[in-house]
Amino acid sequence: MADMDYSAAQDAELVQASRTGDMVAFEQLVARHRDKIYARAYMMMRNEEEAVDLSQEAWVKAWQRLVQFQGDSSFTTWMTRIVINLCLDQLRKRKRQRAESIEAMEEESGGVERQMPVVMVNPTERLERAELRVRIDDALGKLSEAHRTVLVLHEFEHMEYKNIAKTMKCSIGTVMSRLFYARRKMAVLLQDLKTSE
Amino acid sequence: MNEDLQLKLQAYLDGELPSGEARAVAELLARDSAARALLAELTNTRDAILSHEADIKVPESREFYWSKIRRQIDREEQAAPAIKTISFSERIRRFLVPAGAVATVAIAVMLTFPGNSVNGDAFTDVADADAFTYHDYESGTTLVWLDYPDENILPESESDDTLDL
Repeated sequence: MADMDYSAAQDAELVQASRTGDMVAFEQLVARHRDKIYARAYMMMRNEEEAVDLSQEAWVKAWQRLVQFQGDSSFTTWMTRIVINLCLDQLRKRKRQRAESIEAMEEESGGVERQMPVVMVNPTERLERAELRVRIDDALGKLSEAHRTVLVLHEFEHMEYKNIAKTMKCSIGTVMSRLFYARRKMAVLLQDLKTSE
Repeated sequence: MNEDLQLKLQAYLDGELPSGEARAVAELLARDSAARALLAELTNTRDAILSHEADIKVPESREFYWSKIRRQIDREEQAAPAIKTISFSERIRRFLVPAGAVATVAIAVMLTFPGNSVNGDAFTDVADADAFTYHDYESGTTLVWLDYPDENILPESESDDTLDL
């Protein structure tokens, strides 16, 4: 691997080199994808320090499990699954500590938000990109962990309902309900933020 | 609009409906302005969220971030063989401690009845006292369990008071 041009190499080549113990190749993979992996952890945890720790733990696990990566999906998809699972484990631990079940969200999955009037304003039309990002970030922070997780898995990971249900260990109906609630809540929060200006 | 229809609209947006149901929802959208409005809201929200992700970056330099990963990998790789060594020595210890205890008991029995061991009566006495043995041919170890007669058989005067046969 001494002749390898790491910065020009494909992910698959870097993975192959990493499997043989080539730390430089692995470092290149980390450098390439660290923002994406961190972003996923941050979206789920809403805490920079936790997101950094969990994303780094994901990289350590990836190094230890490189032999298990078959190349059926892209390396980033595989990595993202690792960090998502770590985040879900962390969220479940946190829920247990709070004696609050991640499944017990019925009170939020229907009720008031389902009956809310439709938000007619498109937030992307009225706010600058940077401002919109801050506002969306704030709104995401106001969602429960269960609702935010469904949103992240669906919107960013493009996971189908059934796969989200499998990942979160809940029914497809619960996934649909949580996703609907999360989107409606986000719409209202973004509208509120604009009208409060 | 009922819950089922709301969720169907969402599933339509997400491409999760079978073609038959998707056609039915499309027909509904053509004639129902409330359904169109809800679909527009869901679409706008989805698009707004998607525009958010690209700007999230690791709040640490590349070198610092990597150095922590590297240290953790090194630490875990060093710890792994140590755990194996401990496990092996623990297994040895678990074997030796009871084996040593049994050997001690066996020696104590032999020292307690030194005369009997000469003429062969010791075996008979021990057997009479409800002793039993186990010999492991593979390891060459003999285990002996003993109940001494004078611990179980009370003097006649006491046994009359306590034993109700």
